[in-house]
Amino acid sequence: MRPFAYERADSPETARAAAGAGGATSSFLAGGTTLIDLMKLDVMRPQRVIDINGIGETQIDLADDRLRLGASVRMTDAERHADLRRRLPMLTQSLALAASTQIRNMATLGGNVLQRTRCPYFRDVSWSACNKRAPGSGCAALDGFNRQHAVLGTSEACIATYPGDFAQALIALDATVEILGRAGRRQIPFSELHVQPGQTPDVETTLAPGELILGFAMPVEPWFSRSLYLKIRDRQSYEFALASAAVALDLAGGAIRQARIALGGVATVPWRAREAEQALIGRAADEATFQLAADIAFSEARPLRHNAFKPALGRQTVVRALLQAAAMET
Amino acid sequence: MVRHQPQESKKRSDAAPRSGGGFDRRHFLAGTATSALLPLAFEAAGVRAAAADISPTPTEVPGRSLELLVNGRSHRLTLDHRTTLLDALREHLGLMGVKKGCDHGQCGACTVHLDGRSTLSCLTLAAVAVGREVTTIEGLAQADGTLHPVQQAFIDHDAFQCGYCTPGQIMSAVACIEGGHADRDAEIREYMSGNLCRCAAYPNIVAAVRAAKSQLRS
Amino acid sequence: MAIVGPVQKQNMGRAQSRIDGRAKVTGAAPYASDFPVGRPAYAYLVTSAIARGRIEAIDLAAAREVLGVVDIMTYETVRGQVKKPSFFAAGGHAGTTIRPLDGPDIFHDGQIVAVVLADSYEAAREAAYKVKVSYQAAPAAATFDSPGATTEDAADASKGHEDPAVGDVAAGFAAADKIVDEEYRTPTQHHNPIELFTTTCAWSGDKLTIYEPSQFVYGLKNGVAEQLGIPPDRIRVISPFVGGAFGSKASVTPRTALIALAARRLGRPVKLVATRDQGFTIATYRAETRHRLRLGADADGRFTALSHEGWEVTSRPDPYLVGGTDTTARLYACPNVYTKVRLVHADRNTPGFMRSPPEVPYLFPLECAIDELAVKLEIDPIELRRRNDTMTEPIKGLPYTSRSLMTCFDQAAENFGWSRRSPQPASMRDGDWLIGWGCASTCYPTAVAPATARVTLWRDGRVKVETAAHELGTGAYTALAEIAAARLGVDIGQVTMALGDSDLPPAPVAGGSNTTASVCSVIAKACDAIRARLGLDAVMGNAAQPLDPPARAAAFERLGVGVVEEYAEFVPHGVKPDGIDKLYAGIPRLAGGSSLKDRIQYAFGAEFVEVRIHARTREIRVPRAVGAFAAGHIVNPMAAHSQLMGGLIWGISSALHEATEMDLGTARYINDNLADYLVPVNADVEEVAVILVPERDNQVNPLGIKGLGELGNVGTNAAVANAVYHATGRRIRDLPIRLEKLLA
Repeated sequence: MRPFAYERADSPETARAAAGAGGATSSFLAGGTTLIDLMKLDVMRPQRVIDINGIGETQIDLADDRLRLGASVRMTDAERHADLRRRLPMLTQSLALAASTQIRNMATLGGNVLQRTRCPYFRDVSWSACNKRAPGSGCAALDGFNRQHAVLGTSEACIATYPGDFAQALIALDATVEILGRAGRRQIPFSELHVQPGQTPDVETTLAPGELILGFAMPVEPWFSRSLYLKIRDRQSYEFALASAAVALDLAGGAIRQARIALGGVATVPWRAREAEQALIGRAADEATFQLAADIAFSEARPLRHNAFKPALGRQTVVRALLQAAAMET
Repeated sequence: MVRHQPQESKKRSDAAPRSGGGFDRRHFLAGTATSALLPLAFEAAGVRAAAADISPTPTEVPGRSLELLVNGRSHRLTLDHRTTLLDALREHLGLMGVKKGCDHGQCGACTVHLDGRSTLSCLTLAAVAVGREVTTIEGLAQADGTLHPVQQAFIDHDAFQCGYCTPGQIMSAVACIEGGHADRDAEIREYMSGNLCRCAAYPNIVAAVRAAKSQLRS
Repeated sequence: MAIVGPVQKQNMGRAQSRIDGRAKVTGAAPYASDFPVGRPAYAYLVTSAIARGRIEAIDLAAAREVLGVVDIMTYETVRGQVKKPSFFAAGGHAGTTIRPLDGPDIFHDGQIVAVVLADSYEAAREAAYKVKVSYQAAPAAATFDSPGATTEDAADASKGHEDPAVGDVAAGFAAADKIVDEEYRTPTQHHNPIELFTTTCAWSGDKLTIYEPSQFVYGLKNGVAEQLGIPPDRIRVISPFVGGAFGSKASVTPRTALIALAARRLGRPVKLVATRDQGFTIATYRAETRHRLRLGADADGRFTALSHEGWEVTSRPDPYLVGGTDTTARLYACPNVYTKVRLVHADRNTPGFMRSPPEVPYLFPLECAIDELAVKLEIDPIELRRRNDTMTEPIKGLPYTSRSLMTCFDQAAENFGWSRRSPQPASMRDGDWLIGWGCASTCYPTAVAPATARVTLWRDGRVKVETAAHELGTGAYTALAEIAAARLGVDIGQVTMALGDSDLPPAPVAGGSNTTASVCSVIAKACDAIRARLGLDAVMGNAAQPLDPPARAAAFERLGVGVVEEYAEFVPHGVKPDGIDKLYAGIPRLAGGSSLKDRIQYAFGAEFVEVRIHARTREIRVPRAVGAFAAGHIVNPMAAHSQLMGGLIWGISSALHEATEMDLGTARYINDNLADYLVPVNADVEEVAVILVPERDNQVNPLGIKGLGELGNVGTNAAVANAVYHATGRRIRDLPIRLEKLLA
């Protein structure tokens, strides 16, 4: 860990101002579960650390048709919210399945969506080839051990998987992100927060330096109660996803009126499978339909040596999630 | 630079029970002829005497004087900004019950309570803990040495073998019960999954949590 | 004041909660890195980023500028100051002969290339990342099939190794009705005790104190003395509590001498807490293995021939060998047996002991092949084992001292409900979950070693036991205290234990599951000597006769003393009388298993698991495991239960989770952390039943104790693989069994 200047901000505005001030690279410190981890590994080397614990929004405002989550809400606090669990099971499940209790006690929602990849070649600075860490240096994972790596949204420069769970729920639910920038508050669709690696895998989000996430907002439809987050992993708990699916179904009779599908563990960014969703609309909520959607979701998958199983696993995950959602009593 | 001088750590912890026999700690005192560097007994759970000797020479990097509230007592320390709560507790306050197992939030051995919530001290900067209440394994038993029901249940159910993960397990278990997450075995197992036990005492840990919960409830 | 009992089962002691429990639940138990030393310098290792080649240059300028850095050791500054370590298998102490900081050569990934010393941990870590090492990398062989890996026969590589064989296997296979002929693979695994590899060294004049978690404090003392070129009596090793070991702390690793050297250079104590990832390369691991196993049987299921060939990976310089054919050749009756073990040298750190080192990789193919043969023969797999059960090992015709294998199968099968199993694969299902039931034998050699102890009895009944045995979580403090309490007729609360200190009388390495048998034996001997001094009869076997307080007081009165102290030595059957001298020199002499000339001694068990596999996504869970084990006299059924339960979970973990992955192009470990090297979490474990089967064996040692610490995790790999077959109809012969191996 490199030396840094530490300061505690007393409001989001002063935090943003401190982060934007002169020259030094800055990082916001909330739960610390990503930042401290990566600073110890010498992967992140901020010259200034701005502690935003104790500031920021900690409200959960659930209205009839809208939800707003403050960025400083801790994961466990959101996942245990009784009405949220009932009306947006996908969202609370994505939080509860994300990590250990201690990490979820510490991590904030805002920080969680910005957690960084678990690619071992990124996390260990003794590997010289990592375009995300050192632009232009290459990608050791392409020919290396790549079981956990992505099959969707990859590039020749980077195949690192986006590791989070909550973000899949946010992208599936058409959430927006409220950001505090130099020019004040602005909102963007959550789907525009993360960017695929392309030729610049070091650029992971559309946030400008010093910009701070204030919260998330989303419309809440009655049919979101028929939703879930399915996470497939080797262990029963406390592991990143090999594949995951956040799904919601709006059923009328036996037919599908609307659907949402987002994928985790298989893509470089939070991944919305919009074409697969479209394919469901108007069809019967049965296995054949779900299989069709799953095939579409992975039609562009580009597997490598050790993650060759991921398209198959991902398809099965989607089918299983949709079948479970269709069978839910809401 | 201010030399680091813990204010309180020369006192024995009130919460320090004597070990109830069993293995011999005095033995290590008796052998000091070989080394003047073994001055300290292991009589107290946690806070060791003469902590000023334990702490390293401060370095001229950005640091700050701060106050940590640990197990109900306040300690003024001057720490490098980079010092984690885990290293502050172990290397500067001599609270060796909190364990380092991975230093990256993957094993749970360093679990403490921060304002009552189970927290990984390895991923928490000491500076972030300022103004918050830190509770470690050393702060669980009563002043007279009576064990917390979870501690006793761990002994009764043989919920550990090597004992290295045990302080973290117990801190998580206490939070599990206090937070109302110990109603079903499956719930206990999920809640406790952030605390690895390589000896694999898991079924006994679940039994201990279940037993302690019914005792705390009654 | 009960001495023995309440007896739960025949030939078992009383269930006793741990006497060190209070220290462990209060955080007071001192592990090696918990010992305060005055104003230590903190060490941080820099390890190599290549697996083979040479260091071209080391640039320390930026690192030296870090405030608080006091010294940086590299081969340029300390070369020649540590002598070459002697490999344990050649009668020495070290787990590797690779000597870092002795030259520019790199032999494996993560080799120590510099030791940064600073006033604070934070400064040492920062500076370590600023040490710039440039390498001249050479192509590195990662494992089997890697270009540059070389193969040799184990019999050539290691003096002690013979490939056991008997009869004519060609004729045996010709006579077989059914034959299984398959290849099996087991992966690299790392112990990953939760305690990190730590070393604190402090000099006082020419005397060195080492605080390091150790399974053998005498071995560490003598080994480091050899490397530093100083007399062993100048070194004291202190390790009263070990935070898990599983073999990883049994032999001397290079870090200790380097930290001792650092402390001498600085004139102050030095504390090293190596990081989790460094632990993968600065210590040992279980090497990957390959097997070709052929097993034939006649139509009645009697084995006609067994051929077991094994290949094991090791480092370039060291012939580390487990050679588990010693066991597999002898486990069942079979007239024709052929075995062959080969070592494959690659650019790796030297592997070493990991819980049941030979049995875990070698029983996996055998116990899978038996299940495969049972399917071909249409015989129940338990019945097939029963038909080949034996009280005489087939290679030399030596008798087993005791063997309760089929009793274990019967009791475990009943508890598990095996009779309700539908034998057809993929025939049991619960909704979306495929259910499979599988079983396997487990066994572990009963080894006993020379040991010494000093026991003191005070007139008021206080007892002190001093022996340099080790508490790894095995319950040594408690089991050893129980023996002393029982034989001296005092309550266990009156017994004070001192372990884990090389200033105490020596005890053997806490490896090979020998501690309880060896050290209980010597403590019993010392206690009997005390009884003799007091004019009382010795205790025979485990039938302790009460020594009540009035009788004790009268005896002290007669003798006219207040304290009686006895030092005792114990040399087991099969060990030469110089075993005690060797023990003092830090060389353990374990005897037993298949190494005796007149008999063979093993503990046995039977393991059953239920797997559930999701029909679509194929994740594998084990909601239920049952093991029945017989291991002679059980000193503390409570601790024995915990160890066997932990062993079963270890076995499940080995079958489904654990594998150290490698980047094959560079021979570097990839998942060197606890998020990616998977071990079970609490939620992975539901029901685990352990049945202790009573067994009496008065030959193995005077107390009739067989070790059991490594018995629990041996059969489980195969039991899980057999259950996976039963659930799905698919044989997975390459561990670990992960969902991708079961997807369409």
